[in-house]
Amino acid sequence: MPANPKYLTKSPWLRLVKILVGFGGGYAVMLSLHLLLMRVFPPQNVAATAFITGYVLWALLLLWAFVARSVWRVGAAYLALTLLFSLPHFLA
Amino acid sequence: MDNRKYNIYFHTHTVSGILICVVLFVMFFAGSFAFFREELAAWQNNAPAAATHAAAPANYNRLLDSLGRHHQLRGRNFEFFLPQSGTATYVTMSASNDSIVKRQAAAQAKAKAKLKGPGGDGEKRKRGRGRGRRGGEDGVAFSYDFARQQAVDYEQSYSIGEFLYRLHFLAPLNVVPIFLGGPFGYTLAGLVSFLFLFALITGLLLHWDKMVSNFFTFRPWSKWKTVWTDLHTALGVIQFPFQLLFAITGIVLILNSVLLAPIAKFAYKGDADKLRSELYAGDTTTYAYTYTPLATAFDLSGFMQQANRRWPNSRLTQVFIRNYQDANMHVVVLATPQAATSFAGSGKLVYRVRDQRVLEEQVPTVHSSYVDKVRAVVYHLHFGDFGGRALRVMYFVLGLLGCVVMVSGILIWLVARDKPATPARERKFNFWTANVFLAICLSMLPVTAITMLALLFLKHPTQADIYHWYFYPWLALGVYFVARKDLAVTNKQTLWLSVVLCLLVPVLNGVVRGNWFWRTYAAGQFDILLVDLLFLTLALASGLGLLKMSRRAQAAQLVGGADAQRAGAAPRAEHYQPV
Repeated sequence: MPANPKYLTKSPWLRLVKILVGFGGGYAVMLSLHLLLMRVFPPQNVAATAFITGYVLWALLLLWAFVARSVWRVGAAYLALTLLFSLPHFLA
Repeated sequence: MDNRKYNIYFHTHTVSGILICVVLFVMFFAGSFAFFREELAAWQNNAPAAATHAAAPANYNRLLDSLGRHHQLRGRNFEFFLPQSGTATYVTMSASNDSIVKRQAAAQAKAKAKLKGPGGDGEKRKRGRGRGRRGGEDGVAFSYDFARQQAVDYEQSYSIGEFLYRLHFLAPLNVVPIFLGGPFGYTLAGLVSFLFLFALITGLLLHWDKMVSNFFTFRPWSKWKTVWTDLHTALGVIQFPFQLLFAITGIVLILNSVLLAPIAKFAYKGDADKLRSELYAGDTTTYAYTYTPLATAFDLSGFMQQANRRWPNSRLTQVFIRNYQDANMHVVVLATPQAATSFAGSGKLVYRVRDQRVLEEQVPTVHSSYVDKVRAVVYHLHFGDFGGRALRVMYFVLGLLGCVVMVSGILIWLVARDKPATPARERKFNFWTANVFLAICLSMLPVTAITMLALLFLKHPTQADIYHWYFYPWLALGVYFVARKDLAVTNKQTLWLSVVLCLLVPVLNGVVRGNWFWRTYAAGQFDILLVDLLFLTLALASGLGLLKMSRRAQAAQLVGGADAQRAGAAPRAEHYQPV
């Protein structure tokens, strides 16, 4: 049987928001986290690690936008995390 | 796991899976054959790779001489890219660092272009593969074959192995004039890889609770839907690590700019070359041009022989010449260890020609940085080039089993929605989706065999020939099966076609060229033998599938009642699903 629609998003707009937040927001969090790590560890090593951790983290963050009960809260969290991880960049 | 999460994993897995399944099938199918790229090329050319290698001592001096006949070489930079196998090298030559030579050469090139008119020589060269011409006006880039001691025309030396290799990252789709930060085909391949990664993660979470019990569940005599579900789950779980590695390394290999472009921008102040040279083997050092001629002569062939001998158990990958024939001429050699000796590593030698001094040396079997290790993991695991032919055969089998997972996924998707409660319009749409998807996927094996057979009879097959012999039969078979509107017919007839056509590959190779199994075995032409055995096995496997299907149909007819009984014992929810 297909998934029970009771648990799925009905509004196509909300679904679009989830995709955009998961894809775009997830990417921003993933990237800013790795950029932050580059300030601590040798940048080329972090970049190489990101070959694997970057894509997996991005996919998980995309999934989180669907799993969480409120996509708006996820969006806010992604924005906050991205800003937090980018702080050293803004301060420098 | 709570119900809500389960259903969300389920739905995201279904949607991402059904979106990518056809393209992913093509990538996995073609990619599995691409493990035998060299073998397929040897089969096509009827020339075992070993023989070709022995016949070709790489004569670099001659290559430079022939370039020198058309160009003034003084002060130029050269780069040689040496492939893992084969006798060709990819050569680039930049414009000269000597401003006088450069001006003369530019003037000459201009005059030449005028003579030939627009759309002549220059236009054609631009269509080369990937690496463009660096350094401007009269730089050149081409492949050179040491065996034939001449430049290779890429389209003339195309092989079915190269075709399937490039099809597996959708290079033929690059002609689509949509540019999404990269050529269309590559971008699509990268996006599909990423969605594949997403589908793998959701699929794993979906089956997490029942992972162990599902692993031991296979009910081949049950209803079709159960068979497909078991197949999808069991094979999917067995294959999970294998598929995960391809999802990740696939993105890294085809669309890593998604990651590297912003990293270069933010962490490297926009210096993408620096990041690239730190992550990939390369050398971006520039050496000052002195306008003083080199006093001694330089023997590149001899130098290369020495470099090869210097590091045993390694393979030279790139050779850069800087400031040719200048007093400040340098040669940089990059190498990689053989996987059997050292899984990861990188070697580098910087040589100053003037006083014959080695300025820097990194032994490939000894030196291995963290980046080298990550890169080795990505490349070796993706290409399966670290364990000989046996490993590649295993990769091939696992790759094709991945195709089975994808097809069974399509079928589950269809059957799960094929019930009275689903609106007729939706059921029609679902059927047509599955119909088109299966027609495309299942005709790929017979089409590959058709192209192989055509290659036996074509005199000098070019890239265009292979494209025609692959894509037109694919189109014809695809349209035919879509028009038949019957999944069982598609399945059965593609299996029949696969049995006959795949069997014909080794048979006709024997009849037409005398390459029977025992002859190629006796002659030690294992690459040709491998391809023949591969297609024989594929024919047998397809035949086995047909046999099982007809046995099943017979059994169902004989004991029609028993099946109904079993269905009656099944839970109520599955009761009204058509078989």
